[in-house]
Amino acid sequence: MRILLVEDEPKVAGFVRRGLIAERYAVDIAADGKEGLELAEAFPYDLIVLDLMLPSIDGREVLQRIRRQNTCVPVLVLTARDAIEDKVRLFDAGADDYLTKPFAFAELLVRTKALLRRGPVNRSSTLTLADLELDRLTQQVKRAGKRVELTAKEYSLLEYLMLNPGRVLSRNMIIEHVWDQSFDGITNIVDVYVRHLRSKVDDGHEFKMIRTVRGAGYIIRGGRNE
Amino acid sequence: MNLASLRVRVTSWYCGLLAITLLIFGAAVWLGLRNYLFTTIEQTLRDESSNMVQQFVANVDEKGPTWLAGEIQESYAPEGAGRYIRIFREGKILYESGNMRTERMDPSTSTSPDLLRRKGSFQRVETESAGSILFYTGSWVSPSGIHFVVQTGAPTQQIDRILRSLLIALSGLTPLILAGAAIGGYLLMNVPFRPVVALTRQAEQIGTHALGERLPVIPTGDELERLSVSLNRMIDRLEDALTHNRRFSADVSHELRTPLTILRGELEPLIENPDLPPHELDAIGSALEEIDRMSDIVESLLVISKLDFRSPLPRSPVNLNALVRSTVDQMQLLAIDKQITVHADAGGETWVSGDPIRLQQVVVNLLNNAIKYTGAGGTIWLDVRAQRSRGVVEVRDNGIGIPAECLPYVFDRFYRADPARSRESGGTGLGLSIVKAICAAFDGTVSIQSREGSGTVVQAAFPLCTPAEIAEAKQSSQKAPLKQLAVSGDAETDAHDIGSESVQPAS
Repeated sequence: MRILLVEDEPKVAGFVRRGLIAERYAVDIAADGKEGLELAEAFPYDLIVLDLMLPSIDGREVLQRIRRQNTCVPVLVLTARDAIEDKVRLFDAGADDYLTKPFAFAELLVRTKALLRRGPVNRSSTLTLADLELDRLTQQVKRAGKRVELTAKEYSLLEYLMLNPGRVLSRNMIIEHVWDQSFDGITNIVDVYVRHLRSKVDDGHEFKMIRTVRGAGYIIRGGRNE
Repeated sequence: MNLASLRVRVTSWYCGLLAITLLIFGAAVWLGLRNYLFTTIEQTLRDESSNMVQQFVANVDEKGPTWLAGEIQESYAPEGAGRYIRIFREGKILYESGNMRTERMDPSTSTSPDLLRRKGSFQRVETESAGSILFYTGSWVSPSGIHFVVQTGAPTQQIDRILRSLLIALSGLTPLILAGAAIGGYLLMNVPFRPVVALTRQAEQIGTHALGERLPVIPTGDELERLSVSLNRMIDRLEDALTHNRRFSADVSHELRTPLTILRGELEPLIENPDLPPHELDAIGSALEEIDRMSDIVESLLVISKLDFRSPLPRSPVNLNALVRSTVDQMQLLAIDKQITVHADAGGETWVSGDPIRLQQVVVNLLNNAIKYTGAGGTIWLDVRAQRSRGVVEVRDNGIGIPAECLPYVFDRFYRADPARSRESGGTGLGLSIVKAICAAFDGTVSIQSREGSGTVVQAAFPLCTPAEIAEAKQSSQKAPLKQLAVSGDAETDAHDIGSESVQPAS
């Protein structure tokens, strides 16, 4: 899988590249819009990560030009959160997804994987992680065969965690997925809900699946080595 | 009518001056007339007296008192003219006349030695029947050394009456003139003040809405034109400064994003490294937490500056009740966790004009604050109602409250009533600033009342929708189910509906 990263800030480009390489992707970096366009025309990338604020050629223009030539490559746009109101225009211009700065790398990775899988996104009706089972049709959750009663919010939270097993999800990511933009900054709500969810899922079991990663967020693991 | 208004003040000043002028004028007229009338009567009395001396008294020793009486009667007819004449010869009455209309005057009142000694002087005597009488007492010594005193008198009733009528006329007319001048002046002031009123109205418009507008410059060439021109120049500078300020905070926040992204990106992989010793992991975790907080601050500042720019934000009808229900639903665990009871009185529908995400942000922030500053076992009441042309969300708690001296500043950026406590409970210090910015951006208002130790009430109000807008919103939401989520804010409600029931803390 080969990814093109169009980002003028070398340090951002640096850690994204390192992170993606660690996940075994091949990464090319373009430092401005012109170079980005040249690379995008020259190589068949599987994904383009495009910063909208670029020198020489603006990110929007790059996006439109890429779309004119290559209609199917997925494009993940990096943008400012205060510009979210423009997201409709972004999608119109051909973006497949967007990520707001400052973003957590984990989130970039989640979206990258989602875009690369595109077709086979996890659509199975049952999510399973070790002895934890979540039925997306009946919205029922079982741990070690025993029913776990969850409220709607707790269910959404667990579903989001289980869709990204072994990955640290930041509070802001959780807020945006399980609550919505109105709850921006109210991260204490995540802590309380995770605590309640954890007591329902992990209490009475030797292996605690839901863990806190200090400063980073929460992670769900099926076993010690996962 | 505003008593402090310039118009009232100018009118009262000018009426005051007019009153003083009228008083001085009236007094001058009255005193002048009085002086004139008395001078005239005094002159007459003096002339009569000297005439009598020359014509009659000088000859009385030759011709006898009877002749004198006859001559005086003939020349002056004192009884008919209401006059009084008395002549003394060596202190004894030689002649006396003067029927004061009906009654004779009691001579004893006027023959006092005191009076006799006043030679060549005027004296006023009050009588019962004829009122006040003015006397002239003149003396003359004949060549043969005989001492004559001649007294002539006339009633002053007439003069007093004239003066009294003048006084009545003046004191009646002066207030009338003043009242007329006040009303007329006040109305007349309308003309020069009309541009001022227009200017004020326009300036208020500019203050509350767009700073981009300017005051109308009325080309009259007077002070008002200069005023509007210089006010416009001031607004120019103000707008420059404001734009600069807003752009600055937007730019700063924007520029901080990239370094924050880098910091986060560099530190995050480390935390998943199992080989690091725990205290290092802890340090990195702590750094990441602070990066998170800084990101929140940066985002909040950007939200505020974006709202402050007041570019017309898209609006749609929002059902406040559904918004409150869904918010309470999504945050109830926070309250339950602190053993706080939340009563939500949000049945029915209250449609206001706004943006569902932003309006919910208001409710979320207010409820979050209420939960944060209410102790275990406390209660929070949420209430939605239509009040005049506004839809009002009220969040009331019986928490720790806010000290009165802090209350005016709670909507200021980064203001914390109790720094230690609020930092410990997280947050950016921008929650209420965002609430205020959102309310202002959607023509709403937010107000807060609080008493330390007994609780806080916050009310956010937004303009109500017209029935037509509501009908349209409902219709379009039926057509597009996705939009309904946005419109009603009911996106993610729990299985059980909590219309107006309360969420009890888990025991």
